[in-house]
Amino acid sequence: MILTGPEIVREREAGRLTIEPFDAAQVNPNSYNLTLGPTLVVYTGTVLDTRRPNDFETLEIPEQGIVLEPDRIYLGASVEVIGSDHYVPLMHSRSGSARLGIYSHVTADLIDQGSHGQLTHQLRVVQRVKVYAGVSLAQVDFRRVQGDPMLYRGKYQGSRGPQPSQIHLDTAALRTAA
Amino acid sequence: MILTGPEITRQREAGRITIEPFDEIQVNPNSYNYHLGPTLRVHRGQVLDTRPGDQVLEEFAIPEEGALLLPGRIYLGTTVEEIGSAHYVPSLIGRSSLGRLGIFLQFSADMGNLGAVHRWTLEIEVVQPAVVHAGDRMGQITFTAACGEVRLYDGHFGRIGEATAPNRPELLAAAR
Repeated sequence: MILTGPEIVREREAGRLTIEPFDAAQVNPNSYNLTLGPTLVVYTGTVLDTRRPNDFETLEIPEQGIVLEPDRIYLGASVEVIGSDHYVPLMHSRSGSARLGIYSHVTADLIDQGSHGQLTHQLRVVQRVKVYAGVSLAQVDFRRVQGDPMLYRGKYQGSRGPQPSQIHLDTAALRTAA
Repeated sequence: MILTGPEITRQREAGRITIEPFDEIQVNPNSYNYHLGPTLRVHRGQVLDTRPGDQVLEEFAIPEEGALLLPGRIYLGTTVEEIGSAHYVPSLIGRSSLGRLGIFLQFSADMGNLGAVHRWTLEIEVVQPAVVHAGDRMGQITFTAACGEVRLYDGHFGRIGEATAPNRPELLAAAR
Protein backbone atom coordinates (compact mmCIF):
# COMPACT_ATOMS: atom_id res chain seq x y z
CA MET A 1 0.00 0.00 0.00
CA ILE A 2 1.15 3.48 -0.92
CA LEU A 3 0.75 6.38 1.48
CA THR A 4 -1.43 9.27 0.40
CA GLY A 5 -0.08 12.81 0.56
CA PRO A 6 -1.93 13.65 3.79
CA GLU A 7 -0.72 10.35 5.32
CA ILE A 8 2.89 11.26 4.37
CA VAL A 9 2.41 14.55 6.25
CA ARG A 10 0.84 12.76 9.25
CA GLU A 11 3.54 10.07 9.47
CA ARG A 12 6.24 12.73 9.17
CA GLU A 13 4.69 14.65 12.06
CA ALA A 14 4.61 11.38 14.04
CA GLY A 15 8.35 10.99 13.41
CA ARG A 16 7.95 7.80 11.36
CA LEU A 17 9.45 9.21 8.18
CA THR A 18 11.95 11.98 7.44
CA ILE A 19 11.58 14.77 4.87
CA GLU A 20 13.84 17.72 5.79
CA PRO A 21 13.42 20.49 4.85
CA PHE A 22 9.68 20.08 4.38
CA ASP A 23 7.30 22.31 2.43
CA ALA A 24 3.58 21.52 2.32
CA ALA A 25 3.49 22.92 -1.24
CA GLN A 26 5.57 19.93 -2.41
CA VAL A 27 3.07 17.32 -1.22
CA ASN A 28 1.28 15.50 -4.06
CA PRO A 29 -1.76 13.17 -3.85
CA ASN A 30 0.57 10.20 -3.11
CA SER A 31 4.14 11.48 -3.20
CA TYR A 32 6.45 14.35 -2.31
CA ASN A 33 8.43 16.45 -4.83
CA LEU A 34 12.21 16.58 -4.43
CA THR A 35 14.39 19.61 -5.13
CA LEU A 36 17.67 19.31 -7.06
CA GLY A 37 20.71 20.43 -5.04
CA PRO A 38 23.47 22.78 -6.27
CA THR A 39 26.08 20.24 -7.47
CA LEU A 40 26.45 17.43 -10.01
CA VAL A 41 29.01 14.62 -10.17
CA VAL A 42 30.39 13.31 -13.48
CA TYR A 43 32.93 10.57 -14.15
CA THR A 44 36.18 11.64 -15.77
CA GLY A 45 37.30 8.27 -17.21
CA THR A 46 36.27 7.10 -20.68
CA VAL A 47 35.40 3.53 -19.65
CA LEU A 48 33.69 2.79 -16.35
CA ASP A 49 34.20 -0.52 -14.55
CA THR A 50 32.16 -2.29 -11.88
CA ARG A 51 35.32 -3.63 -10.23
CA ARG A 52 37.51 -0.51 -10.08
CA PRO A 53 37.15 2.88 -8.41
CA ASN A 54 35.93 5.30 -11.08
CA ASP A 55 37.41 8.82 -11.01
CA PHE A 56 34.92 11.67 -10.85
CA GLU A 57 34.63 15.42 -10.44
CA THR A 58 32.03 17.67 -8.84
CA LEU A 59 30.45 20.54 -10.79
CA GLU A 60 28.61 23.53 -9.34
CA ILE A 61 25.44 24.23 -11.29
CA PRO A 62 25.79 27.87 -12.41
CA GLU A 63 23.00 30.40 -11.92
CA GLN A 64 22.13 30.27 -15.63
CA GLY A 65 21.78 26.47 -15.50
CA ILE A 66 23.81 23.65 -17.04
CA VAL A 67 23.16 21.77 -20.28
CA LEU A 68 23.13 18.01 -19.79
CA GLU A 69 24.42 15.90 -22.69
CA PRO A 70 22.82 12.60 -23.77
CA ASP A 71 25.98 10.51 -23.68
CA ARG A 72 26.81 11.01 -20.01
CA ILE A 73 25.55 9.95 -16.62
CA TYR A 74 25.18 12.83 -14.16
CA LEU A 75 24.65 12.36 -10.45
CA GLY A 76 22.65 14.96 -8.58
CA ALA A 77 21.17 14.93 -5.10
CA SER A 78 17.98 16.04 -3.48
CA VAL A 79 18.14 19.02 -1.15
CA GLU A 80 15.83 17.03 1.12
CA VAL A 81 17.03 14.35 3.51
CA ILE A 82 14.66 11.41 3.02
CA GLY A 83 14.27 8.19 4.95
CA SER A 84 12.10 5.98 7.10
CA ASP A 85 12.56 3.11 9.53
CA HIS A 86 8.91 2.12 8.91
CA TYR A 87 8.19 2.62 5.21
CA VAL A 88 10.05 1.98 1.95
CA PRO A 89 10.60 5.15 -0.08
CA LEU A 90 10.51 4.77 -3.88
CA MET A 91 11.95 7.44 -6.12
CA HIS A 92 10.51 8.36 -9.52
CA SER A 93 10.94 11.02 -12.14
CA ARG A 94 8.21 13.61 -12.25
CA SER A 95 6.24 13.29 -15.43
CA GLY A 96 7.10 16.91 -16.24
CA SER A 97 10.80 16.04 -16.45
CA ALA A 98 10.27 12.64 -18.13
CA ARG A 99 8.29 14.41 -20.87
CA LEU A 100 11.48 16.38 -21.57
CA GLY A 101 13.46 13.13 -21.77
CA ILE A 102 15.08 13.75 -18.38
CA TYR A 103 15.28 10.55 -16.38
CA SER A 104 16.17 11.26 -12.79
CA HIS A 105 16.15 7.68 -11.59
CA VAL A 106 16.18 4.76 -13.93
CA THR A 107 17.24 1.48 -12.45
CA ALA A 108 17.00 1.39 -8.68
CA ASP A 109 13.96 3.23 -7.45
CA LEU A 110 13.87 1.47 -4.08
CA ILE A 111 15.37 3.18 -1.03
CA ASP A 112 16.10 0.67 1.72
CA GLN A 113 14.16 0.89 4.96
CA GLY A 114 16.40 2.57 7.51
CA SER A 115 18.41 4.51 4.92
CA HIS A 116 18.43 8.26 5.62
CA GLY A 117 20.12 10.78 3.36
CA GLN A 118 19.89 13.14 0.42
CA LEU A 119 18.75 10.99 -2.50
CA THR A 120 21.23 10.64 -5.35
CA HIS A 121 19.62 11.26 -8.75
CA GLN A 122 20.94 9.12 -11.63
CA LEU A 123 20.39 11.77 -14.27
CA ARG A 124 20.25 10.76 -17.88
CA VAL A 125 18.84 12.83 -20.73
CA VAL A 126 17.65 11.74 -24.18
CA GLN A 127 18.18 15.13 -25.82
CA ARG A 128 20.32 18.05 -24.65
CA VAL A 129 18.46 19.86 -21.92
CA LYS A 130 19.22 22.57 -19.39
CA VAL A 131 18.62 22.07 -15.67
CA TYR A 132 18.99 24.41 -12.71
CA ALA A 133 19.67 24.08 -9.02
CA GLY A 134 16.37 24.13 -7.18
CA VAL A 135 14.26 22.57 -9.93
CA SER A 136 12.05 19.65 -9.05
CA LEU A 137 12.82 16.68 -11.29
CA ALA A 138 11.87 13.77 -9.07
CA GLN A 139 9.37 12.65 -6.47
CA VAL A 140 9.34 10.08 -3.71
CA ASP A 141 6.52 7.88 -2.44
CA PHE A 142 6.33 5.69 0.67
CA ARG A 143 5.16 2.04 0.80
CA ARG A 144 4.07 -0.08 3.71
CA VAL A 145 6.04 -3.24 4.46
CA GLN A 146 5.24 -6.77 5.61
CA GLY A 147 7.49 -8.52 8.13
CA ASP A 148 10.09 -7.73 10.75
CA PRO A 149 12.38 -4.83 9.86
CA MET A 150 16.06 -5.10 8.99
CA LEU A 151 17.34 -1.55 8.81
CA TYR A 152 19.88 -0.38 6.22
CA ARG A 153 23.51 -0.15 7.36
CA GLY A 154 25.11 0.15 3.94
CA LYS A 155 27.81 2.27 2.40
CA TYR A 156 25.54 5.14 1.31
CA GLN A 157 24.04 5.79 4.77
CA GLY A 158 23.82 9.48 5.69
CA SER A 159 24.58 10.66 2.12
CA ARG A 160 25.01 14.39 1.60
CA GLY A 161 25.32 15.59 -1.98
CA PRO A 162 25.58 13.30 -5.05
CA GLN A 163 27.33 10.03 -4.20
CA PRO A 164 29.32 8.22 -6.92
CA SER A 165 29.09 4.44 -7.16
CA GLN A 166 30.97 2.46 -4.52
CA ILE A 167 30.42 -0.83 -6.31
CA HIS A 168 34.13 -1.64 -6.48
CA LEU A 169 33.93 -2.16 -2.71
CA ASP A 170 31.92 -5.33 -3.52
CA THR A 171 35.06 -6.77 -5.09
CA ALA A 172 37.15 -5.72 -2.11
CA ALA A 173 34.64 -7.47 0.17
CA LEU A 174 34.79 -10.60 -2.02
CA ARG A 175 38.58 -10.60 -1.80
CA THR A 176 38.45 -10.23 1.98
CA ALA A 177 35.94 -13.07 2.26
CA ALA A 178 37.93 -15.33 -0.06
CA MET B 1 3.03 -4.19 0.90
CA ILE B 2 6.70 -4.83 0.22
CA LEU B 3 8.31 -7.73 2.08
CA THR B 4 11.17 -6.90 4.43
CA GLY B 5 14.42 -8.86 4.07
CA PRO B 6 13.68 -11.12 7.06
CA GLU B 7 10.18 -11.76 5.65
CA ILE B 8 11.66 -12.77 2.25
CA THR B 9 13.82 -15.31 4.12
CA ARG B 10 10.83 -16.54 6.14
CA GLN B 11 8.54 -16.91 3.11
CA ARG B 12 11.28 -18.75 1.23
CA GLU B 13 11.65 -21.18 4.11
CA ALA B 14 7.85 -21.65 4.04
CA GLY B 15 8.12 -22.55 0.33
CA ARG B 16 6.18 -19.52 -0.84
CA ILE B 17 9.14 -17.85 -2.57
CA THR B 18 11.85 -19.48 -4.71
CA ILE B 19 15.41 -18.12 -4.68
CA GLU B 20 18.01 -20.73 -5.66
CA PRO B 21 20.86 -20.68 -4.86
CA PHE B 22 20.22 -18.64 -1.72
CA ASP B 23 22.78 -16.93 0.50
CA GLU B 24 21.68 -15.01 3.58
CA ILE B 25 24.39 -12.41 3.02
CA GLN B 26 22.52 -11.24 -0.12
CA VAL B 27 19.41 -10.28 1.86
CA ASN B 28 18.84 -6.50 1.97
CA PRO B 29 16.36 -4.54 4.12
CA ASN B 30 13.63 -4.98 1.47
CA SER B 31 15.12 -7.08 -1.33
CA TYR B 32 17.53 -9.84 -2.35
CA ASN B 33 20.62 -9.30 -4.55
CA TYR B 34 20.86 -11.28 -7.78
CA HIS B 35 24.02 -11.93 -9.83
CA LEU B 36 24.92 -11.74 -13.51
CA GLY B 37 25.40 -15.12 -15.22
CA PRO B 38 28.35 -15.95 -17.47
CA THR B 39 26.95 -14.96 -20.88
CA LEU B 40 25.38 -12.01 -22.66
CA ARG B 41 23.34 -11.82 -25.84
CA VAL B 42 22.99 -9.00 -28.33
CA HIS B 43 20.68 -8.54 -31.29
CA ARG B 44 22.51 -9.08 -34.55
CA GLY B 45 20.16 -7.03 -36.74
CA GLN B 46 20.69 -3.30 -37.30
CA VAL B 47 16.98 -2.54 -37.08
CA LEU B 48 14.93 -4.50 -34.57
CA ASP B 49 11.33 -5.41 -35.30
CA THR B 50 8.42 -5.83 -32.91
CA ARG B 51 6.87 -8.49 -35.16
CA PRO B 52 8.26 -12.03 -35.09
CA GLY B 53 10.91 -12.52 -37.74
CA ASP B 54 14.60 -12.94 -38.25
CA GLN B 55 15.67 -11.44 -34.95
CA VAL B 56 18.81 -13.37 -34.34
CA LEU B 57 20.54 -13.15 -31.00
CA GLU B 58 24.26 -13.55 -30.73
CA GLU B 59 25.58 -15.02 -27.52
CA PHE B 60 29.03 -14.49 -26.09
CA ALA B 61 30.74 -15.52 -22.87
CA ILE B 62 31.86 -12.70 -20.60
CA PRO B 63 35.65 -12.91 -20.59
CA GLU B 64 37.71 -12.99 -17.38
CA GLU B 65 38.58 -9.31 -17.72
CA GLY B 66 34.92 -8.37 -18.16
CA ALA B 67 32.77 -7.38 -21.13
CA LEU B 68 32.85 -3.81 -22.43
CA LEU B 69 29.29 -2.64 -23.00
CA LEU B 70 28.69 0.23 -25.40
CA PRO B 71 25.91 2.83 -25.44
CA GLY B 72 23.20 2.49 -28.08
CA ARG B 73 22.70 -1.26 -27.72
CA ILE B 74 20.54 -3.48 -25.61
CA TYR B 75 22.33 -6.40 -23.96
CA LEU B 76 20.50 -9.38 -22.54
CA GLY B 77 21.92 -11.16 -19.53
CA THR B 78 20.59 -13.82 -17.21
CA THR B 79 20.43 -14.05 -13.45
CA VAL B 80 22.47 -16.78 -11.79
CA GLU B 81 19.52 -17.37 -9.46
CA GLU B 82 16.18 -19.01 -10.18
CA ILE B 83 13.63 -16.64 -8.70
CA GLY B 84 9.86 -16.51 -8.49
CA SER B 85 6.75 -16.83 -6.40
CA ALA B 86 3.12 -17.84 -6.77
CA HIS B 87 2.23 -15.68 -3.76
CA TYR B 88 4.15 -12.42 -4.02
CA VAL B 89 4.71 -10.27 -7.10
CA PRO B 90 8.42 -10.04 -7.88
CA SER B 91 9.95 -6.84 -9.15
CA LEU B 92 13.44 -7.02 -10.55
CA ILE B 93 15.44 -3.79 -10.42
CA GLY B 94 19.06 -2.76 -10.75
CA ARG B 95 21.23 -1.73 -7.86
CA SER B 96 21.81 1.92 -7.18
CA SER B 97 25.58 1.25 -7.35
CA LEU B 98 25.13 0.33 -11.03
CA GLY B 99 22.61 3.05 -11.77
CA ARG B 100 25.15 5.53 -10.41
CA LEU B 101 27.54 4.30 -13.14
CA GLY B 102 24.87 4.72 -15.81
CA ILE B 103 24.41 0.95 -16.08
CA PHE B 104 20.65 0.48 -16.21
CA LEU B 105 18.79 -2.81 -15.80
CA GLN B 106 15.09 -3.59 -16.12
CA PHE B 107 14.38 0.10 -16.58
CA SER B 108 11.11 -0.38 -18.37
CA ALA B 109 9.67 -3.74 -17.33
CA ASP B 110 10.62 -4.46 -13.77
CA MET B 111 7.47 -6.29 -12.77
CA GLY B 112 7.34 -10.08 -12.94
CA ASN B 113 4.32 -12.36 -13.05
CA LEU B 114 2.96 -14.44 -10.21
CA GLY B 115 3.96 -18.06 -10.80
CA ALA B 116 6.89 -17.41 -13.15
CA VAL B 117 9.88 -19.14 -11.55
CA HIS B 118 13.07 -19.03 -13.61
CA ARG B 119 16.39 -17.41 -14.24
CA TRP B 120 15.42 -13.90 -15.28
CA THR B 121 16.47 -12.25 -18.49
CA LEU B 122 18.18 -8.95 -17.75
CA GLU B 123 17.78 -6.00 -20.11
CA ILE B 124 20.96 -3.97 -19.80
CA GLU B 125 21.78 -0.56 -21.25
CA VAL B 126 24.75 1.70 -20.55
CA VAL B 127 24.92 5.49 -20.84
CA GLN B 128 28.73 5.55 -21.09
CA PRO B 129 31.04 2.66 -22.06
CA ALA B 130 31.26 0.36 -19.05
CA VAL B 131 32.79 -2.99 -18.16
CA VAL B 132 30.69 -5.61 -16.37
CA HIS B 133 31.85 -8.95 -15.01
CA ALA B 134 30.25 -12.37 -14.69
CA GLY B 135 29.16 -12.80 -11.10
CA ASP B 136 28.64 -9.08 -10.50
CA ARG B 137 25.89 -8.30 -8.03
CA MET B 138 23.76 -6.63 -10.68
CA GLY B 139 20.51 -5.89 -9.00
CA GLN B 140 17.91 -6.76 -6.48
CA ILE B 141 14.49 -8.34 -6.42
CA THR B 142 11.60 -7.24 -4.26
CA PHE B 143 8.37 -9.05 -3.45
CA THR B 144 5.03 -7.27 -3.05
CA ALA B 145 1.87 -8.77 -1.58
CA ALA B 146 -1.01 -9.16 -4.04
CA CYS B 147 -4.72 -9.10 -3.38
CA GLY B 148 -7.37 -11.16 -5.16
CA GLU B 149 -7.70 -14.59 -6.69
CA VAL B 150 -4.42 -15.84 -8.17
CA ARG B 151 -4.19 -16.85 -11.81
CA LEU B 152 -0.69 -18.16 -12.38
CA TYR B 153 1.43 -17.07 -15.32
CA ASP B 154 1.74 -19.75 -17.97
CA GLY B 155 3.21 -17.62 -20.73
CA HIS B 156 6.20 -18.20 -22.96
CA PHE B 157 8.84 -16.38 -20.94
CA GLY B 158 7.89 -18.00 -17.62
CA ARG B 159 9.49 -21.30 -18.49
CA ILE B 160 12.69 -19.98 -19.94
CA GLY B 161 15.90 -20.01 -17.97
CA GLU B 162 18.28 -18.12 -20.23
CA ALA B 163 18.49 -14.69 -21.85
CA THR B 164 15.56 -14.47 -24.19
CA ALA B 165 13.97 -12.00 -26.58
CA PRO B 166 10.48 -12.35 -28.07
CA ASN B 167 11.31 -14.66 -30.92
CA ARG B 168 10.64 -17.95 -32.61
CA PRO B 169 12.33 -20.77 -30.67
CA GLU B 170 13.95 -22.24 -33.81
CA LEU B 171 15.66 -18.93 -34.52
CA LEU B 172 16.88 -18.74 -30.97
CA ALA B 173 18.32 -22.21 -31.38
CA ALA B 174 20.01 -21.16 -34.63
CA ALA B 175 21.64 -18.22 -32.86
CA ARG B 176 23.37 -20.40 -30.33
